[in-house]
Amino acid sequence: MGVEGGGGVNAPRLPRRLPRRLPRRVNAPRLLGYAIGGGLVLTGLTGLLVDARHSDPLGWALWFGGFVVAHDGVLVPLVLLVGVAAGRLRTPPWVRAGLIVAAVLSFVALPMVTGLGRRADNPSLLPLNYGRNLLVVLGLVALVTALGTIATRLRRRRG
Amino acid sequence: MVRDSVVDSAVRERAETLLRSVPGRFGSVLHSERVAARLGMWLGISFTVAFATGLISHFMQHPPGGLAWPSRPVGLYRVTQGLHVIGGLATVPLLFAKLWTVYPKLWQWPPFRSLSHAMERALVLVLVGASLFQLVTGLLNISYVYLWPFSFPVAHYWTAYLLYGALIIHVVNEWAKIRGNLWTREQVDPPETVTARRRFLGTVAAASGLTVLFTVGETYAPLSRLALLAPRDPHIGPQGLPVNKSAEAAGVTTVIHDPGYRLTVTGAVRTPLSLAYDDLLRLPQHTVRLPIACVEGWSAEAEWSGIRLRDLAALAGIAPDAVLTVESLERGGGYRSSEVRPPHWNDPLTLLALRIGGAPLAPDHGFPVRLIAPNRPGVLQTKWVSKVVAA
Repeated sequence: MGVEGGGGVNAPRLPRRLPRRLPRRVNAPRLLGYAIGGGLVLTGLTGLLVDARHSDPLGWALWFGGFVVAHDGVLVPLVLLVGVAAGRLRTPPWVRAGLIVAAVLSFVALPMVTGLGRRADNPSLLPLNYGRNLLVVLGLVALVTALGTIATRLRRRRG
Repeated sequence: MVRDSVVDSAVRERAETLLRSVPGRFGSVLHSERVAARLGMWLGISFTVAFATGLISHFMQHPPGGLAWPSRPVGLYRVTQGLHVIGGLATVPLLFAKLWTVYPKLWQWPPFRSLSHAMERALVLVLVGASLFQLVTGLLNISYVYLWPFSFPVAHYWTAYLLYGALIIHVVNEWAKIRGNLWTREQVDPPETVTARRRFLGTVAAASGLTVLFTVGETYAPLSRLALLAPRDPHIGPQGLPVNKSAEAAGVTTVIHDPGYRLTVTGAVRTPLSLAYDDLLRLPQHTVRLPIACVEGWSAEAEWSGIRLRDLAALAGIAPDAVLTVESLERGGGYRSSEVRPPHWNDPLTLLALRIGGAPLAPDHGFPVRLIAPNRPGVLQTKWVSKVVAA
């Protein structure tokens, strides 16, 4: 089942399954949307080029492309592999949820954990022990995950 | 030759079939339009908030022409910038979830069915790239990690237009699907699919919520003890207040202690003033409680004492509609001076502060004198002030 799916099973019932591509009628709201959107995109590109001394268009483009490649070529394939493994191992839903939450919080905390932004002259920047704090947070996530899994099992056994 | 081309076409056909089958190989029911539409709506809301609050921040720092921002409500900038930064962090899980959900579409075959389809995909590339760019550079910026060759505010500002423009076009293109999936109450999926979808969306919402919970305390002090993953603690810094640029980084450690220090008021004035530190202490002192609200999203409140800027202006005979420029002892740097327009300098809360919580300012907080005004980005609360110029 691809993106169009969500349930090929339900194909006959409308309006769940829309035609793959609705005929694009050219109407006023659509044109207005394209005009505004296109205008904003052009504004952004122009700004980046005109302000080249500060925006460094080449450096910008490398970072922009780098993010796309790193995300689509590395991060998502890794997540998909973990997903396949979770499926094979019949990981309970609570554990999957816990893994997702833990991964996101680790991602957000990573720049702080590395401490790359610290400066000797300003101890109020990144003042906390982020490695320890992240472990505390991940511990809490693990705890809630474990409690959730146990609660679900108990309920199922009773039900 | 003939045989070769037959083999070729057979291989090509097999490759073609294989390529066409790729998107269908993603087994999870969560790679669905309904999940994508729901996450898309959340993202649309959060990017709208980020774009609006980002523009507010930009135009507060670079007000065009005659635009004069109001000085009230006192904490407005604190709220808008808090929404921008903490909301941006909350968007991280939404974006990752959304891109994972639609990932099979990346491998659609043929990649381009028509010119308009190619254009549509090019704009999706812009949307994806700009979204990742904004969230990741934003996260690195609040963590003070600068690994890139461009100026962060400039790149972040212009990329926002790319993102929001591409977003509007994407919404227009997907409107039928959005309407079909979000405005249809009819539930036709099998119960397992519905459960899986609810669990997934609930998990993403939880990840967003927890990101907020563990960071929002850097601007909302009652939750500061929970701010385990925030780059700032509103209580940590000299005199219990965070600092963005230290006296050392500004290169003013010696010059601020010069006994010859004078605060001068010049320009369009009736009486030019030149006041020593002790003269400033003898002027009427006022105490106000105001936040420092930084562009990086943190904010902290403090009790400031000093002289009202409008009292000083009256003393020098400055017209009430004049624009003041407050200059620092700092030699260079993008924020060595700031403009104070009439609504701000006429506000009785706007001070040239000499003290925090009753004690003289620490060098890092702008000793001997700093500007502190309501509803104003921290970078414009000029420190180490030595000159006020009226125009």
